[in-house]
Amino acid sequence: MRDLVKMVVVLTVICSASGLVLSYVNEATKEPREYQLLKYVKGPSIKAVLPEGYENDPITDKIVFKMGTDEKGHPVEKTIFPAKKGGKIVALAYDSAAPGYHGNIAVMIGVDLEGKLTGVSIMTHTETPGLGARVEEPQFTQQFAGLTLSEELNLSTRGGRIDGISGATLSSNGVVNAVRQALEQFPKIKEEVL
Amino acid sequence: MGVAKEFTKGLWKEVPPFRLVLGLCPTLAVTTAAENGLGMGLATTFVLVCSNFIVSLLRSIIPSKVRIAAYIVVIASFVVIVELTMQAYFYPLYKVLGIFIPLIVVNCIILGRAEAFASKNGPVLSIADGLGMGLGFTLSLTFLGALRELLGSGTIFKHAVLGPSFEPFAIMLKPPGAFICLGLILATMNLISTRKS
Amino acid sequence: MSEYWLLIVSAVFVNNIVLARYLGNCPFLGVSTRMDTATGMGMAVIFVTTLATAITWFVRKSLLEPMGLEYLQTIAFILVIATLVQLVEMFLQKSIPALYRALGIFLPLITTNCAVLGTAVLAVENEDFNFMEGLVFAFASGVGFSLALVLLTGIRERCAVAPIPKHLQGMPVGLATAGLLALAFLGFIGMVH
Repeated sequence: MRDLVKMVVVLTVICSASGLVLSYVNEATKEPREYQLLKYVKGPSIKAVLPEGYENDPITDKIVFKMGTDEKGHPVEKTIFPAKKGGKIVALAYDSAAPGYHGNIAVMIGVDLEGKLTGVSIMTHTETPGLGARVEEPQFTQQFAGLTLSEELNLSTRGGRIDGISGATLSSNGVVNAVRQALEQFPKIKEEVL
Repeated sequence: MGVAKEFTKGLWKEVPPFRLVLGLCPTLAVTTAAENGLGMGLATTFVLVCSNFIVSLLRSIIPSKVRIAAYIVVIASFVVIVELTMQAYFYPLYKVLGIFIPLIVVNCIILGRAEAFASKNGPVLSIADGLGMGLGFTLSLTFLGALRELLGSGTIFKHAVLGPSFEPFAIMLKPPGAFICLGLILATMNLISTRKS
Repeated sequence: MSEYWLLIVSAVFVNNIVLARYLGNCPFLGVSTRMDTATGMGMAVIFVTTLATAITWFVRKSLLEPMGLEYLQTIAFILVIATLVQLVEMFLQKSIPALYRALGIFLPLITTNCAVLGTAVLAVENEDFNFMEGLVFAFASGVGFSLALVLLTGIRERCAVAPIPKHLQGMPVGLATAGLLALAFLGFIGMVH
């Protein structure tokens, strides 16, 4: 009986000590972990879509606010990565997603304060390798720079200025839709950020 | 004398993945480059030294019936600490080592040292034992990593060594290369040991 | 149904847990000297892997995730597996003594078999898997482990009577054999994406 009590007590003490230490380490590393995740997962895309010559670290200066709700009615957090020059915001980067041929295509867009695209980069997708996956290629994404939310921002088959990937209309259109959705949010985001 | 002896035995006589064939999964899996082997080795050494230290401090109060469970909790806690720290400060390495970081917890070397050494010896000797075994493990992994990196990509620690005319053996970076390289290292060590004696 | 078949072929052959994913190498090389122990170990791993994945799935989805404690996953999973192995051992000893005699001595070794923990982590962290797919994946991974183990044992039993140079005997030639086996399994790449 005494052995049993001792066993339970020792194990409980060890487990609670471990839980205490770990929750402390978890708290202490929370911020750097979030920063590293953004830096390595979204960082390359952010750098690719913002215009050159900004002087800050867009990830450190990130702005987070709540915007709209999802299907279940929970508020959605939107994270904006601003590019600053001389202390003033000159452009914004943020992500968006829309369905392609197979699953969602997540894109990062860069946009200046007039709502003109400075760049588009594909972050994640599950399109067909060698076909729809070619939306990742710069030849495709470079076409977006300089466009605004207008008729021009459409596939050329629909009267716009984007040449889709041949044989992958749904994937190409998914990217266009994701970019359009992002730009539709722009007026509200600009208001919130400035 | 005692401390030095416990420390040095892990470096040649009982060097973990080569002599005691233990902890093979990380040895084979992450050694596609010297840098990855070094990272994995150091992470394992940290867990090994810390768990050896704690286990030896607690050795008289842990009832023998639940000792394995207690050791596992101690080891797993340090593994989680390593996991969180690497994620926060060494993200690229964290990504490369991937699932093998949480799997440090089932590395037989660590539980083996807790059971065979730390549970019977004092804290100082246990730290020396952990450090020696850990460093032996780290050196072995770095060596195997360097060998596979050299043959598989023609570089060591990402520095080009063999020059542009060298055609890399891509197979060395794949599982068959890992098994065969380790097998040849073990055979060489057998050869050296018999020559010595 | 066909996607389950693809999943099984992928886990057994293409991404074989030992020969392509580098998991469970200690028992793979440690118990591959005699056929009867190898089959016993294989059966025990299939059984425990499947059961462990089912339980850790619920631990992750209904305990850790709702409470925001994902960072405790490693510690929770290894405790679940250690307890599970202990319970299975006790249960078999009481209820199915024949099976216990066959598997008994391998069960304690399974706690530190990274194929079990590794499969559970791979199955639970894969966001494309639902519960059933995770379970099928775990079972097929166990089968893949057993297949690799039995194949290697068959070859090593023959190596034992072959005239092999002294310094290569035992582990070195075992590793080289495992390497050739892994080379053969590379041939399955591309069969299933």
